[in-house]
Amino acid sequence: MFEIIKKESLNPTVSKMVISAPQIAKKAEPGQFIILRVDEEGERIPLTIADYDREAGTVTIIYQIVGGTTKLLDSKKEGEFICDFVGPLGKATETDGIKKVAVIGGGVGCAIALPVAKKLHELGAEVHSVVGFRNKDLVILQDEFTACSDKYLIMTDDGSIGEKGLVTDALKKLIESDEKYDEVIAIGPLIMMKFVCKLTKEYGIKTTVSMNPIMIDGTGMCGGCRLTVGGKVKFACVDGPDFDGHEVDFDEAMDRGAMYREFERHSYEDTCNLLNKKVSE
Amino acid sequence: MPNMSLKKNPMPHQPAEVRARNFQEVALGYTAEQAIDEAKRCLNCKNRPCVSGCPVNIAIPEFIALVAEGDFEGAYNVITRQSSLPAVCGRVCPQESQCESKCVRGIKGEPVAIGRLERFVADWHNANCNTLPTRPESNGHKVAVIGSGPSGLACAGDLAKKGYEVTVFEALHVAGGVLVYGIPEFRLPKAIVAKEIETLKALGVEIRTNYVVGKTISVDELMKEEGFEAVFIGSGAGLPRFMGIEGENLKGVYSANEFLTRINLMKAYREDSKTPIFRAKKVAVCGGGNVAMDAARSALRLGADEVYIVYRRGESELPARAEEVEHAKEEGVIFKLLTNPTRIIKGENGFVGGMECVEMTLGEPDASGRRRPVVKEGSEFVLDVDCVIMAIGTSPNPLIKSTTDGLATEKWGGIIADENGLTSRENVYAGGDAVTGAATVILAMGAGKTAASAIDEKLKNK
Repeated sequence: MFEIIKKESLNPTVSKMVISAPQIAKKAEPGQFIILRVDEEGERIPLTIADYDREAGTVTIIYQIVGGTTKLLDSKKEGEFICDFVGPLGKATETDGIKKVAVIGGGVGCAIALPVAKKLHELGAEVHSVVGFRNKDLVILQDEFTACSDKYLIMTDDGSIGEKGLVTDALKKLIESDEKYDEVIAIGPLIMMKFVCKLTKEYGIKTTVSMNPIMIDGTGMCGGCRLTVGGKVKFACVDGPDFDGHEVDFDEAMDRGAMYREFERHSYEDTCNLLNKKVSE
Repeated sequence: MPNMSLKKNPMPHQPAEVRARNFQEVALGYTAEQAIDEAKRCLNCKNRPCVSGCPVNIAIPEFIALVAEGDFEGAYNVITRQSSLPAVCGRVCPQESQCESKCVRGIKGEPVAIGRLERFVADWHNANCNTLPTRPESNGHKVAVIGSGPSGLACAGDLAKKGYEVTVFEALHVAGGVLVYGIPEFRLPKAIVAKEIETLKALGVEIRTNYVVGKTISVDELMKEEGFEAVFIGSGAGLPRFMGIEGENLKGVYSANEFLTRINLMKAYREDSKTPIFRAKKVAVCGGGNVAMDAARSALRLGADEVYIVYRRGESELPARAEEVEHAKEEGVIFKLLTNPTRIIKGENGFVGGMECVEMTLGEPDASGRRRPVVKEGSEFVLDVDCVIMAIGTSPNPLIKSTTDGLATEKWGGIIADENGLTSRENVYAGGDAVTGAATVILAMGAGKTAASAIDEKLKNK
């Protein structure tokens, strides 16, 4: 059992939890993930590590409430326990040799992009962070990003904060204003990563993306997380989750991600209906 | 007087049409009368050929003689001298190619039903004796076991009985390895595995779940920082293989590992399960081994109307146990033999729309001694399915190899170990599928036991 040391709501659909997991905290690196199971009857879901504190023995996760399991997770309070928490899984993000980098975060993907930006900043790289959200109410981790970025740009769909437009608009501007990046690291919805890669490919800038497909065990056993990278089948759990974005077949990944959309929608509605019932009684 | 019937006492089963739609155990087990009657078929031969057919050398005629006398607990004690998992092995061992293949009664008629008797004895014990073993006094030596499948549990059990302080590290959230994620409930009820694990815990074995050795902790850290004097690697062969044909990443294509793990470990077979699984109408399972049979029979039980086994060789080459093939056929699985998939066709919304196959004929024997399948020209046809399950084999997981310096492995990933299970690293042993590639539960158990005695030899004189 793993204790929830701290819980905080970052926006109406995104929360942060600090979990006591000393053995994982000891090993965790940016880019790696954990798999958790909320209770004895629960699903196993992968979540990328948002932060860790080796001394305190804690691992931070940030999650968006998108389905039954994240809803259940969000019902847990500080001092309560999560049944299973395993990791750190996958490979750490490669940071060697990067002197100047653009880190692109989309929505809750910013939670995963932050530790990478932080590490690169600590290693002395020049970090330009570009983050995108639907509107100002959904912005997360603004202070944290500002603290580790030499440039920090917010893009929103409605312009309610930062500039109106997509992260790719901002990235294109930066590149065209003669910023020379060794690498672009993009973490967010598949569609965002796809278009970031399309853009950077035109400019020939190496781009790393973090994939978050459906998986069960996270150790290479189920093969559910397979994707096509450079024409070859890769398992996100052991070969990734980071991949060369110019090689990833995003359309296939988007398709595969929708495998259980119907099932998940029902399961979410079930939980919501239960809640509704309680309210009306 | 021995019972001279040429036939085994038949195993009572759930009727095929009933069991094909539920996940309860297929075989129901002997009654005490049936067991005693069957035990009396044993001639108690002097040279005991059956024992030489058992990978862990259970004293078979000795336990059977006790069954014949009605001393079931006595029989249990004889079996457990060698086997740590009798209720499991009584169910999943391929007895027809091991102990029973050597039985003298099998020369004229059917061999003694050794497997069914083993199962009866273990089930009788579990139903009638609630006493757990007591923990032996510690000898102060610490041993780590990686993986809680058959080899790890056997190794842990033997060492614990000798007083070692054993900790088993398991990557998943429950112990049992392939016994819980792979083999379905209808062939091996999970309560039986849980009971065997309780017995190990009573012997003092500590089981740490959610520990991925190679990630959460390394083999070297186990030895240098955690004080384990020896490590046994029983991490199995968990990496699924795919065929490399077009369309394998479509929605509705599963590895057998994923399909079975969702059903078994994650309980997707239960209506109230939170684990999603694609409930297909027409399913093709590619492969002809026991895992393929498990996947096909599970798909039926999830409600599929048609389930095919697609296998490129013929009936006599099927690697699955004859009993499993028989059960699958009775339940309505359709065998498309001498058939090989060439492409999975994309249907609506990226789901499977069908599978293109070719017919095969058998040519000259290949390196494995089996006749090589050859494509029949112009035989392409499309199998109308909406789900494809790949059950064409698994390889050892590279996680431990890639994080343990100096651990020698074969090109295909198997850890190299000598006849005692010793690897290229001092005090690091390995066994089971991690060494041999995918094989059987009993062979893995045997390897775990061999390594346990080698570890004991090494550490007891330290």
